[in-house]
Amino acid sequence: MIEIKNLKKIYGNVTVVDIPHLSIAKGESVGLVGNNGAGKTTLFRMILDLILPESGEITSNGEIVAGHEHWKAYTASYLDEGFLIEYLTPEEYLYFIGGLHQQSRAQVDETLTALGDFFNGEILNRGKYIRDLSKGNQCKVGVASCLLQNPQLLMLDEPFANIDPSTQFRLKNMLKDANKSKGVTTIVSSHDLNHITDVCDRILLMEKGVIIKDIATSSSTLSELEDYFGVGQTVGATPVVKIDEEENH
Amino acid sequence: MISTFIRHELKAFWRSKNTGKSIAVRIVMIFLILYLFGCILLAGIGMDKILEIAFPNDDLVKSFCGIVLIYFLFDLFMRLQLQELPTLRVQPYLHLPIKRNTLVGYLAITAVFSMFNLWPFLLFLPFIFKIIAPDSGIIVALAFVVAIIGISVFNNYLALYLKRKSNLNGWIFLITAAVLILIVIADFWWHFYSLHNISYAFFGRLLTMPILAIIPALLGIVMYYFNFLYLKQNLYLETLTARKVKIYKSNTDIPFLSRFGTIGDLAANEIKLVFRNKRSRSSLIIGLFFMFYGLIFYTNKSLGQGWYLFAGMYMTGAFVVNYGQFMFGWQASHFDGILVSKINFSDFVKAKYLLFTTVSAISFVLTIPYVYFGWHVLLVHFVMCVWNIGVTTTIVLFFANRNFKRIDLSKSGTMNWEGVGASQLLLTLPLILTPYIIYTPFAVFKHPDIGLALLAVTGFIAILTRNYWIKQLEADYYSKRYRIAEGFRNK
Repeated sequence: MIEIKNLKKIYGNVTVVDIPHLSIAKGESVGLVGNNGAGKTTLFRMILDLILPESGEITSNGEIVAGHEHWKAYTASYLDEGFLIEYLTPEEYLYFIGGLHQQSRAQVDETLTALGDFFNGEILNRGKYIRDLSKGNQCKVGVASCLLQNPQLLMLDEPFANIDPSTQFRLKNMLKDANKSKGVTTIVSSHDLNHITDVCDRILLMEKGVIIKDIATSSSTLSELEDYFGVGQTVGATPVVKIDEEENH
Repeated sequence: MISTFIRHELKAFWRSKNTGKSIAVRIVMIFLILYLFGCILLAGIGMDKILEIAFPNDDLVKSFCGIVLIYFLFDLFMRLQLQELPTLRVQPYLHLPIKRNTLVGYLAITAVFSMFNLWPFLLFLPFIFKIIAPDSGIIVALAFVVAIIGISVFNNYLALYLKRKSNLNGWIFLITAAVLILIVIADFWWHFYSLHNISYAFFGRLLTMPILAIIPALLGIVMYYFNFLYLKQNLYLETLTARKVKIYKSNTDIPFLSRFGTIGDLAANEIKLVFRNKRSRSSLIIGLFFMFYGLIFYTNKSLGQGWYLFAGMYMTGAFVVNYGQFMFGWQASHFDGILVSKINFSDFVKAKYLLFTTVSAISFVLTIPYVYFGWHVLLVHFVMCVWNIGVTTTIVLFFANRNFKRIDLSKSGTMNWEGVGASQLLLTLPLILTPYIIYTPFAVFKHPDIGLALLAVTGFIAILTRNYWIKQLEADYYSKRYRIAEGFRNK
């Protein structure tokens, strides 16, 4: 589905993304983890042709992404609120997105009815513009617009960050369902290691622009990641309370 | 503490994107502000001459005393419309260990530093020192100054108070505006009373009893204190922010556009953009004001047809120019979304053409009453409308590909320099000049109508060859879109 070769992005003289080779097959569910500044969002933006890499190329379904538009027909993505038209109501926005994919209002309504639980009554018919929604609810609109497009490739950047726990679980199920029963290729980034190892079959760990680990998810993946992120701490061990002598005189 | 606030405030000003990065913009900005103040000062210095012409039968000082109060009514109205609330800036300090009195005092005091508080002094001080001081002595002159300071301060805080109130309840603004208008109508149309006389009753007495100046001074102090107390009791985000009351936002359809498919949807979105955001709405309203251009140009017999072109172009194309010069910056906040969704650029541009064509056509229809000044005027309007639809829109879109500055839709348009860059300053020149390049040679050789016909033909050709221009714009856009998108991401 996605093929990356010799990809490099440099800001100033800092290399923010450096991926010699990466291939994501059709139907895979890929999770992207890494600390802030690891290059996750930059990678997403390059796959979506929003920024131009210094060198290398990305192909989607065999066609170079940069300068071509065929990939837009089967790729749905939500990176941040900048993907939403903030002065429209959620309904207007979703009808608009549906219209771009030649869907009638009735078809859109049908999809939205199925998303009723996910919306939890906070999105539709609330009489608010998207800009007046909370970040979490904006994220819901973004995710809904992605699903509405019936994509073959779905890309979400930190979708779990702002939504409430119930919605997080619903979103996880939706992602699993899209991947397992509809064969949608999903690429999701997250800081929540539990969620990401639960949803994704393959985890890419990024550090300073480089993919340093590429692991198929297994029962040990979570603790492996926790080891990496828990810099120098023994996970699970009870922290020793040290009494500061100076303070207790 | 206050000095820290002031330092932060200065940093906020110089580091804000609004201040404008480029020197050209700063110079133009300073020049415009100086020009504005210069005009007011000039009116102030020439006040005695103006009053002589306006009220030839009255004593100079008497007519001056008569207009002061009327000015302040107008001043209050202007402040209600334009003065910004100095508010949101305290937000980052609210949770810190800083005394409420310090914060409120700071808020209340900084409200004085508004351009509106300079106006009355520029306008009235020259007259006071030129005419009143030599006539009635320095004490009386000082009394006038104190009275004017008092009423300015009173107006300043009254306007802010009413603005804060109307943020909580939209009716307050309407009621205030209605009351102000009623006060004026009751005088000038119904003649229930004369504001002129009321104003004179007070300021005229000031000539003999300077001590009366204490009344407006007290009013000012009371209003300040009232505002201070109100702020102190309401130092909460909801009351402070300029956020309007939440009303139910309904979905809107524009049936006329839905027949154009995706292009229509895009144009409909853009129309919603214009109406649902402060800044874009004000550019539309300015466009409506340009509709009165004709009254200036056509009533003046000394201006020839050359000027009619200018008037016609602006009346049918004000929106295209005013709104178009910031394209695509209006959509900056969701430009990434546009780039990744299934919209190809030619549809995107065709939607802009559709929007401009619709608005220009409507503007033309609105200018039809100018037929009163002769059918020829209407013909010029029609030709310029065609020209705008054909040529101006394409030039505007050509420059849109060169605009990398984002626009924050929620901010108001008055004195807002955000998004203004070299390309905006450059844009107006070719827009105004190009029709004259074609027209002037014929006008010079006494065949202006041939020039006019040629303008129309050029406009029509541009409309017929539109697809060619769209292709050119598209190629141009593809080479620039990463820069555009990156510029728009920079908040």
